[in-house]
Amino acid sequence: MSQQSFDFATEAFAFIEKLDQISSVQDVVDEIAKSFSLFGFENFIITGLPGIRERFDDVVLLRKWPAGWFEIYTREDYVRVDPVIRLCRSTAQPFEWSEAPFDREREPRAGEVMDRATDFRMRNGFCLPVHGINGYEACFSMSGVDLDLTSRTKPAIHLMAMYAFERARQILDPRPREDANLLTPREREALMWAAAGKSAADTGDILGITARTVTAHIVSACRKLEATNKTQAVARALQYRLIRI
Amino acid sequence: MSFVYVITGDNRAFYEDSLEQYYRLRHEIFVEERGWTDLRRPDGREIDAYDNDHAIYLLAMDGGRVVGGQRLYPTRLPHMISEVFPHMVERGVPQGASIFEWTRYFVVKARRTGRTDCRLLAAMQEYCLEEGISEVTAVVEMWWLPRWQQAGFKVRPLGLPHPIDGQPCIAAAIEISEQSLGHVRKIAGLRGPSLVREAPLTPRTHRVPHVAA
Repeated sequence: MSQQSFDFATEAFAFIEKLDQISSVQDVVDEIAKSFSLFGFENFIITGLPGIRERFDDVVLLRKWPAGWFEIYTREDYVRVDPVIRLCRSTAQPFEWSEAPFDREREPRAGEVMDRATDFRMRNGFCLPVHGINGYEACFSMSGVDLDLTSRTKPAIHLMAMYAFERARQILDPRPREDANLLTPREREALMWAAAGKSAADTGDILGITARTVTAHIVSACRKLEATNKTQAVARALQYRLIRI
Repeated sequence: MSFVYVITGDNRAFYEDSLEQYYRLRHEIFVEERGWTDLRRPDGREIDAYDNDHAIYLLAMDGGRVVGGQRLYPTRLPHMISEVFPHMVERGVPQGASIFEWTRYFVVKARRTGRTDCRLLAAMQEYCLEEGISEVTAVVEMWWLPRWQQAGFKVRPLGLPHPIDGQPCIAAAIEISEQSLGHVRKIAGLRGPSLVREAPLTPRTHRVPHVAA
């Protein structure tokens, strides 16, 4: 183990321990900003990946972004065209922004978001996608001008980013997480097919399970949602965005 | 609906068929699907040096069909972190009577959208709590960490990520606690225990070395 990578390990472990001791949002933002500045990062955002009907600013957990850029990004709804966000949905590996592919000819808006970011010193970046349980998708994206991104620093950054994300999630996301995890994947599937007008028998054929099992999932979902029947359960699940159609 | 069966050196004779399925699934998943080609074996059964009488298997089974599995192994004995991955640990390999290594975790493809995953995680915490195990150690791809953390597990890194076959992997220790068990049960909607223990067929005394008749 070289001295240098040992030092990165020490730095990463100290950061992880420190995060456990602080609980205010501002303290966590400051601690992340301080530790990641060692690698040249000037800005960062920790955010859920918004669903089709979710607003970007509703799913952001923590950010240290230039105010002007957050305003532009939100107003332009750049999250829908950002190649970094798109790559997060299809990989679990961290990547440099320059590795997020897009077609400048056919996707001018993707080029636009990457170009305009540079006006805010967000020239180069590194992003850690997070794929949690029950389909929760998020990322920790960080940027700056002069980054120390090498095979020596990336492992420490990767580990630190994962713990920073987890701390942000613990502090900021308890309510939605409880809701999002209320139903099991099978219960959600059963409700989604019910919402699409399928009977228990149809749903069973689609999912490769018996109609009785489908009914059991629906009954269980009804109980959790305090719904008196399937129709009310579907309505509640849609209202709380537990399922999408 | 699956349950998680405890299989140890004491009762494995009772589960020969399940273990056979389990070794074949391990080959299918770790060699064929995940590409750990070093483990490839001509007979299609993925078995290593730690599949011995000290290993404890917690297998998720549904009507006799294995749908997921995991293995625990005592860290007082040479184990994978001490023998194969010591370079992944910065501050000493955790070893002790109450620390077990957790390996070969999988859920079969058909069950990956269901509750089997959380049921296996709950079963691991449950078994360890019952047996007085305080911590398990593991080497995994980095993307496991947020999954464990969101399941309510407290995860302590033992070193920085290192690439294994091009994938960033990490050695980590997971705390065993009632709180973590409660959390994973809650998110999976599990109301009670997941573990099934069946009486050992062979008496425990058979484990004591003795002169063969």
